[in-house]
This record gives sequence, C-alpha cells and structure tokens, in this order.
Amino acid sequence: MSGIAPVPGYVVMQPTTLCNLDCTYCYLPHRALNRPMPVPVAAAVAADVNVWAAANDRFSVVWHGGEPLAAGRAALADLMAPFRGVEHHVQTNATLIDDPWCEFFAAHDVRVSVSVDGPAERNGQRVTRAGRPAYDRIERGIAALRAHGVAFSALCVVSDPRPELAAELYRYFLDLGCDVLGINIEEREGVNDRANAHGEAAVREFWAALVAEWRREPRIHVREIEHALRYAGAVLSGTADDVLPRRLDPIPTIGVDGGVYVLSPELAGFTDERFGDFSSGNVLATPLRQILHAAARGTGWVGEFLAGVEMCRAECPYFGFCGGAHAANRYFELGRFDATETDHCRNSKIRLLEGVLDHAAAH
Amino acid sequence: MPLPTESVRGSARVAKPPREDGADDPVTRRVLDVAAGLDDLLAEAAAARTARAEEGSEGAAVCAWNHFENIPTFYNWNNRPR
Repeated sequence: MSGIAPVPGYVVMQPTTLCNLDCTYCYLPHRALNRPMPVPVAAAVAADVNVWAAANDRFSVVWHGGEPLAAGRAALADLMAPFRGVEHHVQTNATLIDDPWCEFFAAHDVRVSVSVDGPAERNGQRVTRAGRPAYDRIERGIAALRAHGVAFSALCVVSDPRPELAAELYRYFLDLGCDVLGINIEEREGVNDRANAHGEAAVREFWAALVAEWRREPRIHVREIEHALRYAGAVLSGTADDVLPRRLDPIPTIGVDGGVYVLSPELAGFTDERFGDFSSGNVLATPLRQILHAAARGTGWVGEFLAGVEMCRAECPYFGFCGGAHAANRYFELGRFDATETDHCRNSKIRLLEGVLDHAAAH
Repeated sequence: MPLPTESVRGSARVAKPPREDGADDPVTRRVLDVAAGLDDLLAEAAAARTARAEEGSEGAAVCAWNHFENIPTFYNWNNRPR
C-alpha cells in the first residue's frame, strides 16, 4: 500500500449539519446548527460519481451527518436524484425512523446502518438536545425497520472496554437482528477531547471475550473480528502483503457547502494555523475529480499524513494489519499528521489483533 | 506477567535468530505461533460467512461486505468515517 488513490470507492455526503441528538462523545462541532446541503452541491458531486459508478461494479454514496434523516425525506430525495448507478447508504441514529422512512429506504434502495451502543443502560451517552435518554426512540426506530423487513447494520461505541461487556453486547446485537456490527472504541477527536487511553489487559480481554461470544453463534458479521481473522489467515497462507489495498481510498466527505475533506471527515469544521480548514477544495468551484487528483499528490496536510504513513510502515510491526494510524486520530491525539502510534491504534488495531490471537491461543 | 504484546513490540527492536518458518517480524511470528488455534477459528469463520450468504446476497445490509478488498461504506478499515 502506498499513497492515495485519485478515484474513491465511495463518497460521504453531509445532507445537513444538524443532529437531533447531542451524544456526549460526538466529534461534530456544528451539530446543533441546521445547515442543509443545497442540491447543486449534490449535482456537482454526482457529475463525477456517476462516471466512476458506471466504470465500477459498485460505488457507494453514504449519507452521513449530522443526522442525515434530519434533512427530511423530500430534501434527501432531491439530493439523491442526481446520482445514477450507485448504492445509497445511510448512517442514522434511528430516532426518526418510522413507517414512511422505511418506505423511503425501500423505494430508494437505501442500505441502513444504525448507531446504538447496546442495551438501554449502555446508551447513557446518547441523549436528546434536552439531555434525556434517547434509547426509547432508537429502539422504536429499529422496531420499524424490523417490521418492514429492512435489513440493517449497527455501529456501537464502547467507551469503557472491558471483558465483562463483550458477551452482553454481542447477545444484544444478536437479539436486535443486525446483519453487520462495527465496534468503535471511543476516540478522542473533533470536539470530543475525552481521554481514550485504557489499560492494555482490559482492552485485549474485551476483544478476546467478544471473539469467544461471537464463536458461539457467528450469525453477525463483526467488522473487527473479520478483519483480524482475514489478516491472520493471510499470514498463515503467506498472502499478508495482499491484505491492504494498493492505495488508500481518499473517502471524500462532502460538507453541506461543497467543501471536500479527504480521509477523515472529523477534520471538517476545524482550522489549523498551518493547514487552514483542512478542505481540499469545493465542488462548486472545482470538479471533484480534480480536487482528488490534487489531494493524491499530497498537497496540504495530506503530504504530512503520507509521511506519517511511511513512518508507521517503518516503525510499527502491526502496519501490515493496520495500514497506518488514521489522520484524525493522529491530529487530535498527537497534534500532527506525521505522528504515529495513537490510542486508537492501541485500542482498535493492536489490542484487537492481540486479543483475537489470545483467544486462538487459548482454544 | 507481561502481556505478549509487550514482548512483541519490544522484540521488534531486538535481533533474533532466523526461524525455520521464515517469519522475520514479530507480528507474523505471533500469528504463526498460534496457528493451531487459528485454523479452527478460521474454518468456523468461513463456514459462518457461507451461512450468512454474504456472497451475492441482494438487498441485505451485509451486501456491503461482498467485496472485501473494496469495502465501500462506513466500515472501511484503514481510513473511514465513524
């Protein structure tokens, strides 16, 4: 793996800055503001995306937020309308999902992922703007998905990883009925400056316990377990060098105003005296393909990040599994893009792999 | 007792004699050392993927994983939004 691809595999769209929740660990700085994305921004993105989608088997448009459903069905439909031949995905807190939204998902063939942190008592950080627990609303939205037969994935934030949690969480998500599960150990980034350093043993044992529980009933595709096992299997078969993509996907996030943020959407809304607002351009002024070609050449902060990736490659024995620390984690934890090992690396890469291997060694 | 990770990371900076299996980095060595347990786990994971019908299923959320080398959504591993 070396450098950044000029053509992405997917784009992330921010249909509104607004989120109707106010989760305590959220990284988004402008989530209380209701700034909608104008349709010309989506049309400008679609001008290039439709070409890429026509040339590839799959191309995804991920509607992220804020809370994307807070944009409303009519506005979201207008923003989707310029796209052709793409898969639409939405990452939602589920609180706004009702029968009409389920019909919308079916009509627009939208793949749905919900954000929920486990049973009610584990969702204390997912609160409304009034500070009240949001779990009842989340549960109601997910019930609507199930009633309509809408398949869904789930993302779960774990703020306090410890082995006792693993079985509880996995059993919860089995009952919830999700097809795919991603576990995000809370990260320090954006406006969330809470420390995310944890003891090594607790985190490793969390991952090992999650594998043990998953193994009892592996009905869910657990992102972290799959990645660790795919890598371990590749090592055993001598193909570990093929695990990482040849080049990093730029994963452009398009902000409501057309600003393009590559690699880490968490940088949107922040400024740095060296790098300005971190945007690589604006689709209302420059075609997305040109913006991404320039970014792939390592302009601005991206150049410092690419140097950081090479430092990870040189220094870290886990590079073949990980591919290098994420840009936002480097910046928000360590202040630079060419800094290397982060707490996110330790919690979600190193200790994950070690926890899976611990489980394999013991069974 | 030190956790294996500590020794793995420490050993990256210490010269060790070459192994017969050719593993010359500490993480590869660590994986190879638990190969027996991994074999069973990998076989179960492969069977689970088949049972989940991840290959070629239309319309399900799990479709996003059909092309592992080109994970298209928020699940991207190396650099991804959360």
